[in-house]
Amino acid sequence: MYPVFYAQFLKDKRKPLLILTFIGLSILATLIFGNSAWQTNTTVAVFATGPNAEEIEQKWVKLLNKDNENTEYVISEEGEAREQVREGKRDIAILLMEQDYRLITASDMPNIQLIEQEVHKVFTEEAQLQAIAGSADTAELREEIDRYLEKPPLTVKIKSVNGGELTSHNMGTQLLFGFTLFIAMFTIGFKVNGINADKVSGVWNRLNLSPVSKTNMYTGHLLYSFFIGFFQMAAVFLIFEYVMNYEIGPLSLILTIAAVFTLSSVSLAMLVAGFTKTPEKFNMVYPSVIPIIPIISGVYVPPGVMDNPVFTFIADLFPMGYAVEAMMDAALFGADWSEIMLPVSLMLLIAVIYMGIGINLGERSRR
Amino acid sequence: MLETVKLTKSFKDKKVVDEINLYLQTGESVGLLGPNGAGKSTTISMIASLIKPTSGDVKLNGKSTIQNPSDLRKMLGVVPQEIALYEELSAYENLKFFGKAYRVEKETLEVRIQEVLDMVGLKDRQKELIKTFSGGMKRRINIAAALLHNPKILILDEPTVGIDPQSRNHILETVRELNQTQGTTVLYTSHYMEEVEQLCNRVYIMDHGKIIATGSKEELLSILSSEDTIGVQLSKRSEAFTDKIKTLPDVLQVEQTSEGLRIMAKKNHHLLSSLVHAAEKEGIQIMNYKVEIPSLEDVFLHLTGKTLRD
Ligand SMILES: Nc1ncnc2c1ncn2[C@@H]1O[C@H](COP(=O)(O)OP(=O)(O)OP(=O)(O)O)[C@@H](O)[C@H]1O
Ligand SMILES: [Mg+2]
Repeated sequence: MYPVFYAQFLKDKRKPLLILTFIGLSILATLIFGNSAWQTNTTVAVFATGPNAEEIEQKWVKLLNKDNENTEYVISEEGEAREQVREGKRDIAILLMEQDYRLITASDMPNIQLIEQEVHKVFTEEAQLQAIAGSADTAELREEIDRYLEKPPLTVKIKSVNGGELTSHNMGTQLLFGFTLFIAMFTIGFKVNGINADKVSGVWNRLNLSPVSKTNMYTGHLLYSFFIGFFQMAAVFLIFEYVMNYEIGPLSLILTIAAVFTLSSVSLAMLVAGFTKTPEKFNMVYPSVIPIIPIISGVYVPPGVMDNPVFTFIADLFPMGYAVEAMMDAALFGADWSEIMLPVSLMLLIAVIYMGIGINLGERSRR
Repeated sequence: MLETVKLTKSFKDKKVVDEINLYLQTGESVGLLGPNGAGKSTTISMIASLIKPTSGDVKLNGKSTIQNPSDLRKMLGVVPQEIALYEELSAYENLKFFGKAYRVEKETLEVRIQEVLDMVGLKDRQKELIKTFSGGMKRRINIAAALLHNPKILILDEPTVGIDPQSRNHILETVRELNQTQGTTVLYTSHYMEEVEQLCNRVYIMDHGKIIATGSKEELLSILSSEDTIGVQLSKRSEAFTDKIKTLPDVLQVEQTSEGLRIMAKKNHHLLSSLVHAAEKEGIQIMNYKVEIPSLEDVFLHLTGKTLRD
């Protein structure tokens, strides 16, 4: 086992660029998508048309900006706003109307759904108030409600399940975990594919003739894939935690989850390797399947957005959803060891099953 | 010491190796010849216990090796048909890797690596990556990797396909050296007749999964001893003349060549006079008449009706 492990290491030592690139990529992706969409304030251009455009704009912008902290709605000129969306400089602009609105967008980014939610809430609230007031002028009614709420007869205090402050969901952290895990899956896959490469090149047969047992040949490869994958993830997390001062959360928990995730990803890669048999086929199949996993696992969107039952069922067959959820629980909601037991066990189960099937497929119909 | 008994392998319903019996005696050098797809590599894989035979047995000193191949594997060195090396590693690193896999003692391994590198003549290139090597150099390292554990039996599967003459000579020299000075038993697979003629005491000829002939070079050639191949150079080409020759008694086969005819016939002292006679009638002159010395290549042609290399 040791010679096999060491030979793989020698190959990478000579060409460390791939892994360094992947580490850089994980960080970069998190910075670009994580930051721009969620951490800083987004500004959204709004405009209205028609003779009383200005009046409409003033009215809605005031309401839109009233409660929403993360998004700033600014009045702009129609042509300019549309232009910016078209050129991709902005994700979204909003056309305001007397009682209604239209979203103008060229993409379907997760943050658009969030903005849509915000805007929708403001408009429905206003519509309700108008219905109560029986006229379009709700200013008085609003004041009345605000005054009333200052001395409410009944106060509701929101607490999280375990009594602490309720933490808001942090998409930046989720994307950090998501991207890091996603990119690590590529590293792991390419390493596990070394088994197929050895089988095709004849190195595998050569080892088969040597006193090295088959178990040790597999273990050497798979253990190496595990170490490289885990090393990559740990490097990214540590860089975020200590160099870039992100709050990653309790490292021991996060790294444990990462290790179990690595193990099940190695198994998943072994399953694909067993199916494909040659490194070329593996390189066609694996990179086209892997990117789908974080999408259907809902890693790129806030929790609950991905609710298609078919997708969620398929996502449950892969370790990524469990890992990101467990990491988020640990990072944001202070989950302890007992609380991450379930996702960790499920990932281990996936690891065992896929590994068994993968190795069996790999051994079958080989001459 | 090593023999196969009715060794058979079928893939699906296709018999690729069909009841092959062959043996290797200690210190022998034996050739296994056959065209593409004859089943040579499959036979070797079964001997090396890399694939399980459909039926039949492989015996080492009378003991079956199928269930427990470890004794055989210890004394076996296999040079596979493909380059089974890590291209991204240097020659030295590859040898060290396989040496460790073969559990060569740490102290002896360094010495042994230099020895085998010397044997294949690549000692001064050992630090370079395999992927920068020429095809011939790769093949030489491919052989070196099979020698590290000092195998008593060496099986080489077409070790010289597609390489430059220099590397080829080096490989043939290495194999001869191993066989003659170190007493290594050799099974050499090839579809180059000349190599086998040079290297081997005994030859098996294989086609369509079957052994179709076996023996020393002389024995195989004697298959042709009752036949002559005659090259005839003619002053002009004539279909009528060719047809005429075909009808002569004892003539087996007539081929037109650029210069005239190539005739295969049973040994017959009257053939020349009959030829001259026929030529006179057609107004053709016989410029040259030569009985060719048969080669193993001709034996193969005789047995299978095709040449070794398509
Ligand atoms: N795993 C396999 N499944 C199906 N058919 C196979 C398999 N391996 C080999 N064959 C077939 O068996 C036949 C013999 O193959 P083999 O490789 O033993 O021939 P060979 O004599 O070594 O030929 P070459 O000179 O091309 O190396 C070929 O027709 C090949 O297509
Ligand atoms: Mg072959």
